[in-house]
Parts: sequence; structure tokens; C-alpha cells
Amino acid sequence: MKDITTSVLKIDNEEKSKGSAIYVSDITIPGMYYAKTVRSTISKGKIQKITLPEMPENYTIVDYKDIPGKNIVRIIFEDQKIFAEDEVTYYGEPIMLVVGPDKLIIEELVKQIKIEYIEETPVFEYVNSAINYNFKKGDAKSAFENADKVIKYDYVTGYQEQLYIEPQGMVVDIEGDKVTLTGSLQCPYYVKNAVLSALDAKDSEVRVIQAVVGGAFGGKEEFPSLTTTQLAVAAKKIGKPIKMIYEREEDMEVTTKRHPSKINMEAAISKDKEILAFRANVGLDAGANIGLSGVVLSRALIACTGAYTIDDIEVNGDVFLTNTVPNGAYRGFGAPQMLFAVEMFMHHIAKEIDCDPLKLRLRYLSKQGDATSTQGTFNDPIIMNDMIKKAMKESDYKAKKIKYAKEDVYKGIGMSWFLHGCGFTGSGESTHINALVKLRKDKNDKVHILIAAVDMGQGIRTTMMKIVSQVLDIPLEQTVYDLPNTDLVPDSGPTVASRTIMIVGGLVARAAKQLKENWTPGEELTVSERYKQPEYIKWDEDNFVGDAYPAYSWGVNIVEVEVCPVTYQVTLQHVWSVYDVGKAIDERIIMGQADGGIMQGIGYGYLEVMNSKDGRIQQKNVTDYIIPTSVDSPPLDTYLMDNPYPLGPYGAKGAGELTLVGGAPAVALAIEEAIGKKIHKIPVTPEYIMELMKNGKN
Amino acid sequence: MVKNVIPVSYSEALDLLNERPFKIIAGGTDLMVQRRSWAQTPPKFSEDVLYIFNLEELKYIKEVDGYIVIGSTTPVEDVLKNKLTPNLLKAAISIMASPALRNMATIAGNIGNASPAGDTLPILYTLDAIIVLESIEGIRELPIKDVITGPGKHIIKQNEIIKELKLPISVFTNSAFEKVGGRKADAISKVSFTGAVNIKDNKVLDFRIAFGAVSATILRRKDLEEKYVGLTKDELIGKVDEIVADYDPFVRPIDDQRSNKEYRKTVALNLLRNFIETL
Amino acid sequence: MAKIKFKLNNKEIEIDENPNLRLLDVLRDKFEFTGVKEGCGEGECGACAVLINNDIVNSCIVPLGNVNGKEIMTIEGYSETKKYDVIKDAYAEEGAVQCGFCTPGMIIASESLLNKNPHPTEEEIRVGLSGNLCRCTGYNMIVKAVKSAAKKGDGLW
Ligand SMILES: Cc1cc2nc3c(=O)[nH]c(=O)nc-3n(C[C@H](O)[C@H](O)[C@H](O)COP(=O)(O)OP(=O)(O)OC[C@H]3O[C@@H](n4cnc5c(N)ncnc54)[C@H](O)[C@@H]3O)c2cc1C
Ligand code: FES
Ligand code: FES
Repeated sequence: MKDITTSVLKIDNEEKSKGSAIYVSDITIPGMYYAKTVRSTISKGKIQKITLPEMPENYTIVDYKDIPGKNIVRIIFEDQKIFAEDEVTYYGEPIMLVVGPDKLIIEELVKQIKIEYIEETPVFEYVNSAINYNFKKGDAKSAFENADKVIKYDYVTGYQEQLYIEPQGMVVDIEGDKVTLTGSLQCPYYVKNAVLSALDAKDSEVRVIQAVVGGAFGGKEEFPSLTTTQLAVAAKKIGKPIKMIYEREEDMEVTTKRHPSKINMEAAISKDKEILAFRANVGLDAGANIGLSGVVLSRALIACTGAYTIDDIEVNGDVFLTNTVPNGAYRGFGAPQMLFAVEMFMHHIAKEIDCDPLKLRLRYLSKQGDATSTQGTFNDPIIMNDMIKKAMKESDYKAKKIKYAKEDVYKGIGMSWFLHGCGFTGSGESTHINALVKLRKDKNDKVHILIAAVDMGQGIRTTMMKIVSQVLDIPLEQTVYDLPNTDLVPDSGPTVASRTIMIVGGLVARAAKQLKENWTPGEELTVSERYKQPEYIKWDEDNFVGDAYPAYSWGVNIVEVEVCPVTYQVTLQHVWSVYDVGKAIDERIIMGQADGGIMQGIGYGYLEVMNSKDGRIQQKNVTDYIIPTSVDSPPLDTYLMDNPYPLGPYGAKGAGELTLVGGAPAVALAIEEAIGKKIHKIPVTPEYIMELMKNGKN
Repeated sequence: MVKNVIPVSYSEALDLLNERPFKIIAGGTDLMVQRRSWAQTPPKFSEDVLYIFNLEELKYIKEVDGYIVIGSTTPVEDVLKNKLTPNLLKAAISIMASPALRNMATIAGNIGNASPAGDTLPILYTLDAIIVLESIEGIRELPIKDVITGPGKHIIKQNEIIKELKLPISVFTNSAFEKVGGRKADAISKVSFTGAVNIKDNKVLDFRIAFGAVSATILRRKDLEEKYVGLTKDELIGKVDEIVADYDPFVRPIDDQRSNKEYRKTVALNLLRNFIETL
Repeated sequence: MAKIKFKLNNKEIEIDENPNLRLLDVLRDKFEFTGVKEGCGEGECGACAVLINNDIVNSCIVPLGNVNGKEIMTIEGYSETKKYDVIKDAYAEEGAVQCGFCTPGMIIASESLLNKNPHPTEEEIRVGLSGNLCRCTGYNMIVKAVKSAAKKGDGLW
């Protein structure tokens, strides 16, 4: 039998290359209508009066009054309205849809709708805490009291936009009582449940089908639940199929983004330069709704010591509501903000206590058996030492470090270490998700993989088919994995949190074993497997005590840059990465994840500027929101380590997010070294570099 | 009723322009974005449109009487590849937008759009380009600085068309175009710098400086340049502080979603200083 | 309205249409080509790229009036060629296709580049692809794919 890591060609290469793959914008249904959203034009206030134009035949307004069920997008925290009622809380908040057959007429109608508001003073500062979490490990309080020195630094991170190249889009069809929603989405069952609640419908009345997804990165995790519920309500009202594809500006202005954050770090330092304790205080800007922000905050807080073991810690974090566009899921989910702060902080501590940062960091690097930040245990082998050595050797780190330390050399090399908890935080997997997978063997002995996992480019369809074919020892072509349709596949959970291979893939492998044991040629058979939390994993959600994740993936990123002292622009020279994702189910697929992830992480660190002014996003198109092009991107060298995780399929752990989370600190550290000034903020733009070179601290 | 026309000849285009107002489209890379509407609906043109991009008569690059003459519908990619094209102009075009854009965009469109961030404009200013405007009434030849009057503003009349540009052939011993955008391709200039000098027998014969995106139109000051003609190279370099100080009051950029004025100003002056110091 | 003649994927076409229409909309809505995609609608991402007279353009900012007398090739037409097979295989083997939304445009950009420069350096490849945004791959594997296509398809361009 072949090593599972050996790459196969992805099953959807052909259709994607020649353009025949059907994305949501490619779907047309005869007699289909279009919808446009009418949005709030103020950041906060009461809706006083809405004046509608006379509606021509076949043109309709759809608003909250049309919702048969609850006017709430059902998701983890239920505070987002499908349509605003009598008040608005952010610029761009949806108030109603205008639906009809002709786009030009719809646009005309939208223009004629007059909404009068009583404006209220919006809040854009971090003052209105909606969620507070805090936890402790050990006794940080006395450590700080006994400290020889306390080192404090503040770190700030900006928005990040997912910028999937395919904008959000959704099509709804309706036949009798049944609505079918097809779209660009990550989580078919999130959408289904949200629509069920909005329509107050029976389970059999709602079906969700995934179209080929043109990139998501978290941006299509919870947001599509909003657009689908709106469209489902509209379809129920008028009985017509409707298509709604966002324009790029609309997508960038009103869809969820990575939470901006402010993080204060404090370290208690002893006389002999030991780090005694950490205090972290994290503020996340949630925008106008809480949504997933609580979960994002937990992940951030749990990552408060990064790849290090610090015995005594005190962590506090808030989700702040502001009158701005709601933020949400984005690959990394709170970890990128925190890991940036931690990695910078470790270096800044080293500088203050006059210690070689590498030595200091190695001293605190987590080892197998260490307690995690939440008093759980790193149960599995941690091979970071080998990974660091490998990365340093491949990049010639030490020699470059010495060379670039000189005053007049504007080059730098930065190294980040990080981990990413695989799967849902805490007991989410067993309490919220409770994944179910099925495999069906048909009469021709073809094996159908029945799961709700969505391939959005990360190659899940290919890897799942590989797992099944490997376990059953049948050719790949004998397995079938169609785009999920909730009428046909069980709820195997959302395609998020780097859980799909490890959790869903694990269940699929088990189901395949079952199928193998009961295999009778020519006979139909369906087997299923449901998630069971491993016994040894204990989690106390209220106190943040226990094993926050069943397993961790680990990584090292090294980024080399050159900064132009005339224009302050950064040129990326080279990137090296070493990852422990357990076992790669398909090497080429993981390498692809690695390349894309690191470039998003690095982009977050130095390039991608998005800010909000008076509650409005300023960079609303691809010209103004800058992501790397092929000439900005350097050569990327990635090395995968073999460190099989006993409970993952073939030893696999999560990989999707890990590759992003270390990019920002690595590039920021490289720039810090190149310019010889401390960096506290990402993205490290040329404007910021100029400021630092003029007035920054060494 | 809007009537859009694809003329078959340049003279037809001139006739039409004389009959009634038209919006001229060349490559359309500015206009199609500015007039963009909801996908699947026509871009919003309230005026009649005249499509001139395919007028082969205006696609040429030639040398005539000490000028390089570029026909107005020549896509910048063709300008880039032509060996007659001055190096400075090539430098600006080679980092304009992306290959796909360069196959459509025209220099005339860059002029018509009159953005202070237009990348070919500082070069046209530096080279003292003459813009040839034609209408049924005749031809006007104007220096570029008299054509563009402000952001998006120019003096081209309703019935006129940019026929061609004439670039006086000039000799520079040192020249540079530096574009500072948000990324290395596909970017709009936050600020740009153009410098060109001709130093012969250790004497500065010609000294030209232009900045993009630091004021309402391209910044070029002949009065300042003249101060430094006639110096030796070392004298010129020795006066770098004075030169930077001379330009300082005229570099008046703005804050926007792409950058801020402090950065634009600092970098513009850094580029000037760097250019002179490394002559 | 205006009569507009052009060649589309080697077929002669004559239509009477509003010349202001975006070529993108005409290709998608009239000719039902799904390989020409809209990512930004403002010329920045390259998802809508097609070839006009063998050169890459972004069809979202090309008015129909500008294609009169031209030869347009979309990925649908291009995928019938041998060169496409070489590029497509190289993309597959290097892992250059993820979500696929940028892929047809990237392949068009690769063709436009190789057509002018059959043996590009890495630098030239990166410049050739610089108008095509990809958020999934970090470009690494795409650049490798173009390199490998140039090698394997040696003589085709
Ligand atoms: C994605 C993208 C990236 C870009 N990047 C850059 C960049 O890096 N640098 C840069 O400088 N620009 C850039 N631009 C802007 C644009 O491409 C340039 O301004 C280009 O030169 C415009 O040329 P065009 O022929 O396409 O103009 P059009 O859009 O056709 O016309 C622009 C204006 O000029 C007028 N006009 C055109 N031709 C004539 C003529 N012969 N006579 C009279 N009036 C005329 C038109 O009426 C119109 O008002 C970019 C645009 C896009 C969409
Ligand atoms: S859709 Fe045309 S370039 Fe983005
Ligand atoms: S593969 Fe997804 S954008 Fe390129």
C-alpha cells in the first residue's frame, strides 16, 4: 500500500481549470429574480420613517415583517438580526431587500426608497464590553508582587479582510413548501439551521446545497447564514427563485472581517532574569454584533503564551461592541492577533533584560507533558526543537542574523514559533457539533462519502476520497464525494477550525473500516460514525480549565525582508516554514495550504491595511485593500515533519489555520530587525515604518 | 436616446465630435471603472459614447523632426515595446497596473483622466510633451502643463480629440522614475518621483524634477530647476539641502485611504534627495 | 445599439448590442461562458481575463464597442488547444489550483506570457501574472507551474 502522504492529482482540477466548475454566480434558474439590499446609511440611530416608491408589478420589498420565524440569524450567539427593525447599529446594516426580475428597475427602486433616521451618537471606542472572560493559571499575583521588574507592552492589530476572490453569493429556489439554497458557503448545516429558525419551517422544508466555493477563509462561515435567511424569507414571500451576488464593494463593506484588537502584555521578571509570570489583557472589536466573537476571544486568550510554557498567568479579555460592521471568523480565529503580541513581547522582553531572544525563547518553549495555558497537558510529542533547527539551517538564520545586525543594513530576518489548537475550542465538538458521518456503498461497489464538509479550495474532497480508498484499498475512482446537499448528507459539522481532516476525516476513516469489515460485493450498505470525545479530554468551559483542544499543530516561520530607507517599503526576500501537522494526508495539498496560509499571514503583518473612519470601511475595493500579488510574494520553502497524532486519521492533525498564524510576527520581527526599532502594531506599513524610523524606540 | 458610435475612420470621429457632444472612450480602463454599475447591467453613461480605441490610424510611434510622436490610441504596452520610446516613459509604463491593463490603457486616457497619480503624466511633464489636439476647426498644440488644470480637469474642448503626443527628443545622462505604490504591481501611486539631468563636461546643462500625487496636478517647477543649471555636478550635489528646501513648500499632498500626507511628503523629498546624492 | 463583429473562440460573431456593455457580461450572459468570472469588476483581479488578439485583457473593463474586429479567446476556446493541456497539466502537477476562482484567468495570463516569451525567468513569470490575484496559493505553485509548462511545452510557443 502507498504512503498516504504521496500526492494524487486533485479531482476538481480539470473542471476548475477550464472554467466549467459551477460557482454560485454561474447558476441560473428560469424565471429567476434578483435582490439588492437596502442598508443603513448611518452608524447608529432609530428608523423614523421609511417612504417607499410605488412598486411596479412583480417588484417587492422584503423586510423584518415578512419573517415567519425569529428575526435572528441563528448561530452560536444569537444577536444578529436578519433585517433591522426600528433601529440600526452600523453603517451598512441590512434593512430590506428589493426583489424583482429586472436589475435596472430594482436599482431605480432602491434609489427612490427614503429612510429617515433619528441619529444617535455612535460608539467606536473599546468601551462597551459585551463579553468578559478571564482565567488564571498558578499564582501570577504573587509573582508580580515579588518581581524584580515588570515589563509592559501594548500591541495593536488591524482589520483583515478575507478577500476570497469569489464574492459572497446565494441562490434560492422554491417548490411548494420547500426552499433550496445553493451558494458559496462553508457550513451547510449552519445555514440550514438558520433558515429553519427564520422560516419557522419543518426540517424537510429546507435544503442547502454547496456550490463550488471560490475561497472562504472563514468569511463564508457565518456570514452566508445572513444572506440565505434573507433570501429564504423573500422566496417564501414571493414564491420565486432569487439570486443575490454581492458586488466587491458591498462584500468588502458589510461582510465580516478579522477582529481588530488591542492587547496589553505584562511580564514579571525575577532578579536572575527569569520570566515569572504573564498578564494578558485582550480587547477585541466585535463591531455591532457579538456573533462568533466570544469564541474568537477564547481562542485568543488560550493562545496567550503562544508556544511557550509560563507557569503563572492571569488573562483577561473583552469583546467590545462598536457601531461598525460586525467582525467574525477568519482563518486563525483570534490566534493571529494573540500570537503576534506574544512573539513580539518575548523579543521585547529579551531586549529589556538584555538577553539573546533565541536563548530566552528556547528556555520557555513548551515540551511534551507541560501544562497548557489552561492547565491541560500537552499529551503528544512536541518536536519544536527539531523544527527550529531545521528552519534555522535552511534559512542560514544565524549567519544572516549577525550580518543584518549592522546599523546601515536595512535587512532583517524574523522567526516566529507557534501552535494551533485543532478543532473546536473546549468541548464544542461534543456539545455543539456532535458530528455524524456516513458512507454508502452502492450496488456497483462505489463508495459515497456522505459528509457536510465543504471543499473551498483546501482539497478536502480529494483528501477524504484518499482516506476512504486507502482504508478500503480501492481505487480513488471507486469513491464519490459530491458537493454536500443537506438532504443527502448528515451533519458532520461546519468546515472550520482546522477540524475537517482530524475530526471528520477520523470519523470517515473509522466508517471506512466498518465498511471494510462488512463488505459484501454487489450489496448496498450504509455505515455511520458519530464523534466521541476522547476520555482523557476534560474541559471546564466556565473557568477555562482543562484541555482546550484535543491536539495541537506546531510551526516555525522565518521571513527575510529588506526595507528601503528612502521609501520605507518592505521587500520580502524569502520565507521558510516548518510544520508539524501530524501526518500530511496529501503532501501537495498541505504544501498548497502552507503557501496560501503564510502569504495571508504575512500580508496581515505588513501589507493589508483596512480601517474604519466614522464607522465606515475606507478600503472597499481591491485597488485600495492591498493583498500581495505574484511580484510581492517571495519564494516559499516549506518542510513538513512526520509526527503522527495517534487519534487522527493516519496520524493527521489540523493544518488549515496553522499556516497563517505565524506569518505576521515573523514578518514584523524581520522588519523590526531591519530598521532597529520596536514594532507594536500590524500591519507594519511604510507609513508606520517611517514614523518608527523618525521617532521609534530601539 | 443614447447613440453610441464606433467610427470607422478618424475623420468620421472628428465629424461626429463636431455634430454633438460625445464621451470618448479609448481603452476604457478609467471610464469603465468610473461608470461601473451593478453586474449584468450596462455601465452608466448619460452621454453618447464614441469608441476610438480601434482607430488604427492613430496607432503609431514615429520620429519626426526631433520629436517622438505617439498616436493617441496606441496601447501603452506597444509604447513600452517600441525602441523609439524614451527610457523614462518606458520606466513609468513598465510598472503601470498589470499586463492586462497595459494592453488596453492609453497615454491619452491617462491625460484625459488627469489624475495627479497618473503614472505617465510626470514623464510627460518632465519631457515637455506637446499634446496635439484636433477638431474639425484645426489643430492646437499645447504643452502638457497647459492641458491639465486640476484633478480630473483639462482644457480639451467638447469637439476635440487628443490626436497624438510629441515628445521632444532630449538627452539625459541620469534619469529615474520612482513609483511608490501600495504593492509592487497593480497599484496606484501614493507618490512618484521623476528626475532627469544632463551633465556634460562636468556641467549641469539640464535639470528636471517632477512629482506625482503630491499636489493637484503634477508638480514641476522650471523656475527652481533653472537655479541649478550651470553648476558642476559636485556643486549640484553640494546643494542638495537647498534643493530639497526649495521644493518643500510645493509638495502638498493629501490624506486618503491609500496613505497620508506626512508619508507622501517625506518620501517625495527623500526620493529627490536620494536622486541628487547618487548622481 | 450598434453592429459589432468579432471572432469568439474562432467563430465569427455578429451582434447588434449596446456597445457600452462589459465584455464580461456579454460573454457570461449571452454566450454562457462560466470560465470568465467576476472577482472585482474593476480590472484589478484578473478573474475575468480573456485574450484579445492573443493578449490578455480584463473583460470587466472592456466595453463591447472595443472588440469590434478583434479575435477573442476565452478559456472555453483556449481549453481546446494543445498549449492549454500543457499548462493545465502543469497546474495540476504543481498543485496550483485551489478554489479555482482565479484559475482560468491565471491560465489565460500564463498563455499571454508564454506567447510573447516562451522561456520566461521566474521574475518574468511573476510580472506576467501580476494582474491576477490569487488568495489561496500564495502564487508559489502557480509560478512553478508556468515554469514547468514552459519546459514541457518547449516548441509549442
Ligand atoms: C486596475 C487598474 C489599475 C490601474 N493602474 C494604473 C497605474 O498603475 N497607473 C496609472 O497611471 N493609471 C492606472 N490606471 C488608470 C488607467 O488605466 C490609466 O489612466 C489609463 O492611462 C487610461 O487610459 P484609457 O485609454 O483606458 O482611458 P479611458 O478610460 O478610455 O479614458 C480616460 C479619459 O480620457 C479621455 N480620453 C481618452 N482618450 C482620449 C483622446 N484620444 N482624446 C480625448 N480624450 C480622451 C476619456 O474621455 C476619459 O475621460 C489603472 C486602472 C485600473 C482599472
Ligand atoms: S473581475 Fe475583471 S479584473 Fe476583477
Ligand atoms: S485558487 Fe483560489 S484564488 Fe487562486
